[in-house]
Amino acid sequence: MHDTLGLAHAGIALSGVNLSLGRGAARVHILKDIDLNIGRGEAIGLVGPSGSGKSTLLMVMAGLERADTGTVVVAGETLGLLGEDALARFRGRNVGIVFQSFHLIPTMTALENIAVPLELAGSEDAHERALEELAAVGLSERRHHYPAELSGGEQQRVALARALAPNPAILIADEPTGNLDEATGSEIIKLLFAGHEQRGTTLVLVTHDHALAARCDRVVRLRSGRIEPAPQAAAAAVRA
Amino acid sequence: MGAGTLPLRFALRELRGGLRGFYVFIACIALGVMAIAGVGALSAGLADGLAHEGRVILGGDLAFSLSLRETDDQERAFLARQGRVSLAATMRAMARTQNTREHAGGDGGSALVEIKAVDVAYPLYGEVELDPPQPLAQVLAQRNGAFGAAADPALLARLDLAPGARISIGSASIEIRAALEGEPDKLAGGIGFGPRLLISEAALRASGLVQPGSIVRWHYRVRLPDNDITDAAVSAVRAAAATELPEAGWDIRTRSNASPALEQNVERFTQYMTLVGLTALLVGGVGVANAVKGHLDRRRDVIATLKSLGAGGRRVFAIYFTQVLVLAALGALPGLALGAALPFLAAWAFAALLPLPLVPAIHPLGLALAFAYGILTAAAFALWPLGRAHDVPASALFRDEVAGARYRPRAAYIAATALAVIALAALAVALAYDRRIAVIFVVAAGAVFVLLRLVATLLMWIAGRMPRPRSPVVRLAIANIHRPGALAPSVVLSLGLGLALLVTVIAIDGNLRRQFLAALPDKAPSLYFVDIPSADAEKFDAFIQAQAPGAKLDRVPMLRGRIVAANGVPAEQLKPSPDAAWTLQSDRGVTYGDEVPAGSRVIAGEWWKEDYQGPPLVSFEKRIADGLGLKLGDRITVNVLGRNITATIANLRALDWQSLGINFVMVFSPNTFRGAPHTHIATLTYPGAAGAPPSARDEVALLKAVADAFPTVTTVRVREVLEAVGGLVSNLVLAIRGASALTLLVAVLVLGGALAAGHRHRVYDAVILKTLGATRLRLLSAYALEYFALGVATAVFGVAAGSAAAAFVVTRLMHLPFAFVPGPLALAAAGAVLATVALGLAGTFTALGHKPAPVLRNL
Repeated sequence: MHDTLGLAHAGIALSGVNLSLGRGAARVHILKDIDLNIGRGEAIGLVGPSGSGKSTLLMVMAGLERADTGTVVVAGETLGLLGEDALARFRGRNVGIVFQSFHLIPTMTALENIAVPLELAGSEDAHERALEELAAVGLSERRHHYPAELSGGEQQRVALARALAPNPAILIADEPTGNLDEATGSEIIKLLFAGHEQRGTTLVLVTHDHALAARCDRVVRLRSGRIEPAPQAAAAAVRA
Repeated sequence: MGAGTLPLRFALRELRGGLRGFYVFIACIALGVMAIAGVGALSAGLADGLAHEGRVILGGDLAFSLSLRETDDQERAFLARQGRVSLAATMRAMARTQNTREHAGGDGGSALVEIKAVDVAYPLYGEVELDPPQPLAQVLAQRNGAFGAAADPALLARLDLAPGARISIGSASIEIRAALEGEPDKLAGGIGFGPRLLISEAALRASGLVQPGSIVRWHYRVRLPDNDITDAAVSAVRAAAATELPEAGWDIRTRSNASPALEQNVERFTQYMTLVGLTALLVGGVGVANAVKGHLDRRRDVIATLKSLGAGGRRVFAIYFTQVLVLAALGALPGLALGAALPFLAAWAFAALLPLPLVPAIHPLGLALAFAYGILTAAAFALWPLGRAHDVPASALFRDEVAGARYRPRAAYIAATALAVIALAALAVALAYDRRIAVIFVVAAGAVFVLLRLVATLLMWIAGRMPRPRSPVVRLAIANIHRPGALAPSVVLSLGLGLALLVTVIAIDGNLRRQFLAALPDKAPSLYFVDIPSADAEKFDAFIQAQAPGAKLDRVPMLRGRIVAANGVPAEQLKPSPDAAWTLQSDRGVTYGDEVPAGSRVIAGEWWKEDYQGPPLVSFEKRIADGLGLKLGDRITVNVLGRNITATIANLRALDWQSLGINFVMVFSPNTFRGAPHTHIATLTYPGAAGAPPSARDEVALLKAVADAFPTVTTVRVREVLEAVGGLVSNLVLAIRGASALTLLVAVLVLGGALAAGHRHRVYDAVILKTLGATRLRLLSAYALEYFALGVATAVFGVAAGSAAAAFVVTRLMHLPFAFVPGPLALAAAGAVLATVALGLAGTFTALGHKPAPVLRNL
């Protein structure tokens, strides 16, 4: 089954993607015949039970895993054609990732954490831009603090600022509120969607929260490694 | 700030987290660099001291030495033209007290002395220190029927003499007027067998000891005019001597090589100590590898995060490699400071005790070399685990991976590791005094590393295939040995290296002591007699047989000669091996004979017939011949008594040097020295090892009888000489033991670090097991058993490897027999096992003390 919205203005386009992990008897077919097109600037919510392959699908889109078969086109670039270092550079400039566990670098300050992708991309004004991003998430006064000195919500705000700093084409958020309380989580989601709307980034949001997923332009459901058809498409198929 | 500085920026930010996990790394590099820098600085200080004090040590700007003869008129005139000349004649003789009733002391009133007879110009440089202080000329002057002398305090003690006492040297009466506290040119004379007695040239001539063929060395020291004492002037005089008097056959030394033997020994000793320092660094390298591996394991998430943010594998490697270099420099710098300070400390603390002059200074090149060794070692051991950082997947952030599968880094990093290792080895070999030894060390070190890795692998393989024991304690211990991430490889490597070195040093030490204090004396002669006049030779034989019936007397003629050329190539242009170089440095004893000497065996060529009358032939000792590049049929030119004599090598011999019998490198056909004045040398060996050796009392009685009957004959008690040499060897071994102790310290640090690296796993294991019902005693028992097994397996290998290395050194390099020394080795092995268990349990105690709840919450 596959999602069949048009390919013409795709931010992310997966076609016939299959991926298995593990070796020998432990090898598992995680992603099965994935076809998915996400328009530029579109926000999609990716939902599904544990073990359905959501994280793996995210990693394929981010270029962190290579598909066994099929093509993956992100921001106009066919990822399968890029070498390892080219993929890393592409990621740094075009893909921002917000993790559930924040994954800030503990020995760098909030400002330095945000500047990392800019420095890796060779930006001359990395620190100035990082300051702007930090201000955008309301943490200018915490710029010299280390992650251990920040609350969970503040860490996630820094992580969001880091993901947005390179003005990426794609923003991936993997359960961004999973380690936060409800109130703090709401703040983060507000900032996440604000960032997406202001910059026109394509947003892929993995969540267990159906209400949150419903805020996206579209919800994609994954089950056992396959994309479930959208309800209206399923109904049309039944009628046909 | 550009992309070029990014690795350094990121590396320094990473280090803000503190140096936890790197203390052993830094300590290992610091200790290893300190050892190499210290040895280099001390050696340079000694070399500078020898060079700086060259003219004082030599006694002049140049020294011309002759054996068995004095200078002729032409030679004297030549020397006088060059500058101020001073004569010092040296020989061994017997000093006899004149009033034996008063004599106490255990030597029967006789003692072997090293005579130095000097003229009024002595010393040309430096000062003679006398007690009581007084002008030397006054001490040595002849008055009241006796010549004056200054004596080594050891002689005064041995013969129980006070200043003013009289002794006899030959037929001269000598009054001891002062104790000799310091002799400016003592070092150039090498090691003597007896205490020094300083007398005047006139006293020596009056003693009757100077006879044709007597073994007297005549040293003519020249002090160049003050207005022309440059190195060029010294070289010019040397060149003039070679041009104007090519047949003189004298041994010429200049102030820049006042004591070549001493300089070579300093260099040789430096090399050995550097190798021990390198061993410390190599053992420390294991600590580096463990620390880097542990650090990268802890930094896995950060590496994955960097990759998710756009850092490629090479960039990640660059960041962490830069970090390793910064840490290595952090360790090397204090090591350099301490090493550089060592000669200053030695000069301050031990100035009075040091037998050699020491000029402490900062030697940038030596320090740079030690720094290079430190950085290269860190790189060689860190590149492999760092290479793995290249391949840490960013997907690790999304997926909780159970302990990563072991895999090799990419080929580029394996090649880089190999290059670093080769560079380290090349540096060690290229800068070594004896490259053969350095190559042997490099190969042996590599072999030990590989073997230790194999031992660890074998141990884990055996543990993995053992039948399942019933006892859960034993089961846990065995499982810990072979589980993924087990400590076995780190523990075996660090403990094994340190123990192998310790065992090597102990075994060599034990064998040397055995040789000098036990084995050699058993088969060595008891007494040596030197300077037996040819005319008295048969009378001497009869005398000895009457005094010591049944003892075996071996007597051979002896002259002194210097090798001046081989196959027409002057000796200065020959390139001898380090083992043979000593034969070219000054005169050697030479002899002649009809028969193959006792203790020798002809292994190539033929011995000449008994009545051979043809051109001179010579029998050469095989190893020395090989070292000089000589073979059968080659020609060797030796200067004896001022005449150059060329002989053809007729045969090659193997010698048993350990017999301490009369052994000569060169034995000539009898017709070679017909008519040349010479003396004889003899050994006296008492019958059978099974029989009682002569008592000291018997030896002394014979010594006195010989001294009374033959005043010009010098008697040497071999046992005393062996004790003196044994003492020297003990001191040398003490220094090597000190350096080895440093290596052991590094090994203990690395072992402790390796065991501490497993601490996190221990906490995890302990918490889970305690939750499931295991008591602390059970857990401790399991861990103790695990460490005991590792310690025993490593100790077996360490003892075997160390013994093999010691056997190689003793048999192939020192050419002595080797014997296993079980007692000390067992002690070393037991100590190693104890250390492993103790260090392991020390870390485990704290792990077992962790409360389960906080750990379980974070799982």
